[in-house]
Amino acid sequence: MNTSTKLNMPIYADQIKKMLPHRYPFLLVDRVTKLEPGVSGTALKNVTINEPFFQGHFPEELVMPGVLIAEAMAQLIALIYIAESMEKADDYATHDIPFSDQVGYLLGFKNMKFKAKVIPGDQLIMRATIVGKFGPMSQVQVFADVDGKNVVEGIINVSEKV
Amino acid sequence: MSTFTNSKENLLDQVGARQQLCREVKEMIIEQLSLGIQPEWIADDQPLFGRGLELDSIDTLEITIGLQDRFDCMLTDDNMEVLGSVNKIADFIESQR
Repeated sequence: MNTSTKLNMPIYADQIKKMLPHRYPFLLVDRVTKLEPGVSGTALKNVTINEPFFQGHFPEELVMPGVLIAEAMAQLIALIYIAESMEKADDYATHDIPFSDQVGYLLGFKNMKFKAKVIPGDQLIMRATIVGKFGPMSQVQVFADVDGKNVVEGIINVSEKV
Repeated sequence: MSTFTNSKENLLDQVGARQQLCREVKEMIIEQLSLGIQPEWIADDQPLFGRGLELDSIDTLEITIGLQDRFDCMLTDDNMEVLGSVNKIADFIESQR
């Protein structure tokens, strides 16, 4: 049996579900394309017309809620630090450690800018880079692009579960 | 006598540099936490957390980032007492130089 936690790129949705506790309708990362554990990562989310939030936001104008884009980026941040703890645990029989239990909480948003609407059919490319850490807390610079154009940028503070 | 004058000038320089450093620390705290107050309103030995400036644990992250960006100092959480007051932060910055 292969018990290695070495993460191969890309990380597909079935593996993401082992790393995050989020489930429908709140798992907002489809695939991780680049990941440097504990440092930075790039992930994508395909936005479809079948997203449950489009029923209400808005019935007459379909716009992905900015807070959910921020949540998607926070989930990417969680993947970055969960990958780090998986890497650290690599020496052990790690296949039954529930890594997704370590996903923590949001602490704050800073200077979040939502520059363009995100609509059905868009592919969000999200990037996150940890810029500072103190204990379990991290400050992370985040970006989201659609078709090579930046649509969201800002800073997210998170805490791992302690 | 000239050596005495020199050392007195040195001492004054040191005091001036320390006051300037404390002012920069206060400006950094105000900027990082968007406090919207004047640096003079913070005393050098005033407690920053709990009573005093009433900062909380989330603010420690912002101050750590400020120390990193503005003073090139890395602070870890086994060094929590550094964040006790402006003077303690200034001591820490000086010890890192």
